[in-house]
Amino acid sequence: MLTILLLIPFLGALLICVLPGVDSSDNSASVGRSRTFTLVTLAVQCLLSFGLLIPFSAVEPGQQLVEILPWLPQMGLEFSLGVDGLSLPLVLMNGVLCLVAAAASRSVENRPRVYFALLLVISGAVNGAFLAQNLLLFFLFYELELIPLWLLIAIWGGANRAYASTKFLIVTAVSGVLILAAFLGIALVTGSVDFGIRPILTTQMGLTSQLVLMTCLLIGFGIKIPLFPFHTWLPDAHTEASTPVSVLLAGVLLKLGTYGLLRFCLGLFPEAWSVAAPWLAGWAAVSVLYGSLAAIAQTDMKRMVAYSSVGHMGYVLLAAAAATPLALIGALFQMVSHGLISAVLFLAVGVVYERTGTRDLNVLRGLLNPQRGLPLTGTLMIIGVMASAGIPGMAGFISEFLVFKGSFEMFPVATLLSMVGSGLTAVYFLLLVNRAFFGRLAVAPGANQNPKILNQVPFAQQIPALSMSLLILLLGVVPNLLVGLSQPATAQLSELATLVQPGGL
Amino acid sequence: MLLTPALSLPLQTAWLIPLYGFAGMLVSLPWAFGWFRRDAHRPPAYLNILLTLLAVVHGSLVLREVMANGPALIGMPWLTVGDLNLEISFSLSLTNVSALELITGLSLLSQIYSLGYLDKEWALARFFALLGFFEGAMSGVVLSDSLFQSYFLLEMLTLSTYLLVGFWYAQPLVVTAARDAFLTKRVGDVMLLMSVVALTAWSGVTSFDDLYSWSAQDTLTPLAATLLGLGLVAGPTGKCAQFPMHLWLDEAMEGPNPASILRNSVVVTCGAIVLLKVMPLLQHAPVTLVVLQVIGTISAIGGSLVSIAQVDIKRTLSYSTTAYLGLVFIAISLQVPVLALLLLYAHAVSKALLSMSVGGVIASTNCQDITELGGLGSRMPATTGAFLVGGAGLVGLLPLGGFLCLAQAVELVGARAVVFVPVFLITNALTALNLTRVFRLVFLGPSLAKTRRAAEINWQMALPMVALTVIVVLTPFLLIRLESLDGLLAFPFWAAALVVSSGAAGLLAGALVPLNKSWSRSLNPILRWFQDLLAYDFYTERFYRVTIVNVVATFSQLAGWFDRNVVDGVLHGLARFSLSSAEGLKLSISGQTQSYVLTVIGAIVLLLMSLSWVLQ
Repeated sequence: MLTILLLIPFLGALLICVLPGVDSSDNSASVGRSRTFTLVTLAVQCLLSFGLLIPFSAVEPGQQLVEILPWLPQMGLEFSLGVDGLSLPLVLMNGVLCLVAAAASRSVENRPRVYFALLLVISGAVNGAFLAQNLLLFFLFYELELIPLWLLIAIWGGANRAYASTKFLIVTAVSGVLILAAFLGIALVTGSVDFGIRPILTTQMGLTSQLVLMTCLLIGFGIKIPLFPFHTWLPDAHTEASTPVSVLLAGVLLKLGTYGLLRFCLGLFPEAWSVAAPWLAGWAAVSVLYGSLAAIAQTDMKRMVAYSSVGHMGYVLLAAAAATPLALIGALFQMVSHGLISAVLFLAVGVVYERTGTRDLNVLRGLLNPQRGLPLTGTLMIIGVMASAGIPGMAGFISEFLVFKGSFEMFPVATLLSMVGSGLTAVYFLLLVNRAFFGRLAVAPGANQNPKILNQVPFAQQIPALSMSLLILLLGVVPNLLVGLSQPATAQLSELATLVQPGGL
Repeated sequence: MLLTPALSLPLQTAWLIPLYGFAGMLVSLPWAFGWFRRDAHRPPAYLNILLTLLAVVHGSLVLREVMANGPALIGMPWLTVGDLNLEISFSLSLTNVSALELITGLSLLSQIYSLGYLDKEWALARFFALLGFFEGAMSGVVLSDSLFQSYFLLEMLTLSTYLLVGFWYAQPLVVTAARDAFLTKRVGDVMLLMSVVALTAWSGVTSFDDLYSWSAQDTLTPLAATLLGLGLVAGPTGKCAQFPMHLWLDEAMEGPNPASILRNSVVVTCGAIVLLKVMPLLQHAPVTLVVLQVIGTISAIGGSLVSIAQVDIKRTLSYSTTAYLGLVFIAISLQVPVLALLLLYAHAVSKALLSMSVGGVIASTNCQDITELGGLGSRMPATTGAFLVGGAGLVGLLPLGGFLCLAQAVELVGARAVVFVPVFLITNALTALNLTRVFRLVFLGPSLAKTRRAAEINWQMALPMVALTVIVVLTPFLLIRLESLDGLLAFPFWAAALVVSSGAAGLLAGALVPLNKSWSRSLNPILRWFQDLLAYDFYTERFYRVTIVNVVATFSQLAGWFDRNVVDGVLHGLARFSLSSAEGLKLSISGQTQSYVLTVIGAIVLLLMSLSWVLQ
């Protein structure tokens, strides 16, 4: 079943490139056809991922539905996939957000078939990385998702796309190199070349080698998450990427970093992790505060949302450092809620940019105007912003509370500092809403100009953001839906890390 | 839901009461979004009023049960993760349910009032959706039995306040008012969240009763207890618009008046009720109690002083709300919860009535500047009557709610800390002075340009206003139901005399102080300096702008600069270095195969050596 799940998007990508009927001399017809094809493919994938819930048992902590195929038997390498409470929510979110991204890809100026094929490849590669039960396999999928994303930014991006995409490619490639080096290091030191994910392996190492290898992984995933000071690729990439790509980047691809943090740093090196934990908590607090403060200084809406990701992903590191059962479930909840919330935010910013041609907070005013503005987009923006600021009743609050409550016993000071970051989130996002959506309508520099009438957005275009908002509210009111799914897995992970001592920060 | 057959049906279903408000929000949404176009926007208003009426009736059934059979507790599990066990639980005690009745009752009245006040408002559906949300959150806060749930709903209250204040979002003053309302409360809320997290982490429980018994064991260090207490106090301080988080209530007066009625009366009550509930947790933190008393005193005296210098008719009331809640804070910190509750109830109904009356003035004159108003007394008899009765109910002079509470306060507070008795008396006198001043300016004197054609308000506004007038007159009887008659009248003659004389002094001063409409700002430089000081709220806003706002802005600019120049600078430097070194190395190539092989082998040896050194 998992293999089929992986095959669907890759086959779809192949078909979209070779099927003769998809292409057309008329670009918009071509876009329409390839978009429909992609939507159907991704809908099937999404349904199938939700279908995993039927055989999946929510009380078992370990890997389930494991599929093993011989890969390179000479080396003892196996192509093995599996899913557990940690990866299943992320697979589901990938299914949903890829669908949203495809639905939001309405205007693709050139080469629509390549665009949608790349979208499908990303979707499959991310699923592969989440499901991989082999270090090398994970690495392959992790790298595989890089190239399509680089192309998506470099070809369909904004004015400064060459700089942003090159920066993205080089920096994330470094992340890949570090991760590969760490995986090879594990194989070299332990002498097991089958690259299985077995925490027992690393206990045979000395603490120094553990720390060195884990630091490699940590920096590798820290770049991807991204954490201060490895984060500057993200705002640039977001600003230049188109809306659907931003949704994918923030919602799904950053989660590869946090997933790797939990699965490979904490999961493979529990001993080294417990040594480093106080430092990591401190790093998390710095990252949260830095990201939030830098976000306040931004005037581009998209950059502001991008910096908020830096801050909010810091919570995941904080929770992972504490590694209590509650903190880890909070970390997972934060990944999911951040994915949904940033999808809503980026979609709303995308509509604003599409209709007004600018994202500059010094220019935009009064977009809530009912007649000539974007009232529904404004409403969605307010929901997203409030969820991000951790207002109860929405998913963001549950994850923040679980993270804070779970981490407080271990690292009270770092947790309190992160809470200040949560307060700062309210500051910058409130400024965003207040500047761009409140006040008198203005979309051009020099507010005295008669603002042009913005075209109303068809309701159908808002369905993705609306449904994400409903999901945010649903998870905020019934958090058990997600918590129940993942609790055994995160509890098992936290048992590994019982060595973490409270103290220091 | 925990259904015990021992409880009667109204009690078992009491959890529905907050949901009525939220349901009102949900049913209004289709109209608010403009999906239902045909029947204008009245249906959601009627639906909301109906649902609120249902909440009032249900609440009164619960109240009757509770009065007859004592308090009850209902709850159901919500989220269980590891050692964290969160419940939805409601405590149906007399205090909580009577506060609930106050909230739903005033909400009902102000919703009917909105029908008239916002008659021509295009976004009436959105307004009622927000009011429903507001009411649901408030009902939940007062009923809630756990600290976590209180925080949860308080924060929703913050959001709904933001949206209600920002209702007319196109006006520039509304934009800043909504921002300040949200951020000020958010500061308090984040500090409260810190304490909630710390408390649940340390104690492992969330319900108030469990927390009380945990805190009785006294396991905390004094420092931890103090910090915890300060966090717990910060949330209510923001909600009750107490110094130093009081600015928002004044600015929030830019929002629609029906919401201001609720904000001035019951929102602040919610904050105070939460403070009452966390009070037993502050026993081991005497510093917190002192802080509460200082906050209360500054707010009471400062708020009453500032209100005297206001010329906006709504703002003259908002600062007196801060002042009265300051008195409530003092009462809570001195451990006289009964007094705090009586003050809250008496203040809430009187202040709501005053706000309604003021709203009537605004609705019929379209003017909020009291120096441009005058002579409305003969033109708007019901509104004038409402102002008089509301003022009488607030000030300790006539035997209405305010008098009974203040007389009791003088006696009870005097027995505990006599130093606070003058605070109560001064607040009373200054409030009397302020209300008399406003009354003279608005309702007496000759008609002016803006009031000459003013007429009495329409019946949708008049009906709730008159009803509330009757309620304020009957307040003493309602208070008796909360506390026995003997308890209510158990104050000595000297206390009553002190209160009456302070009220009379204020009244007299207000009646005699010269009021010049065209020269409302004094020509005497010293007097003018004082007047400006009070009119601009001791320049608190300016102080915040140069301190906290400036600090956050500086740090964020610093972070932005660091990001562009240092973090990105290092990255760009590395990129330039690798490019230029490649350019340089390009010239050092001899082209001989042997040298390539040598370099490759050398590099491999180096790599393996370093690896084996690291990974031994």
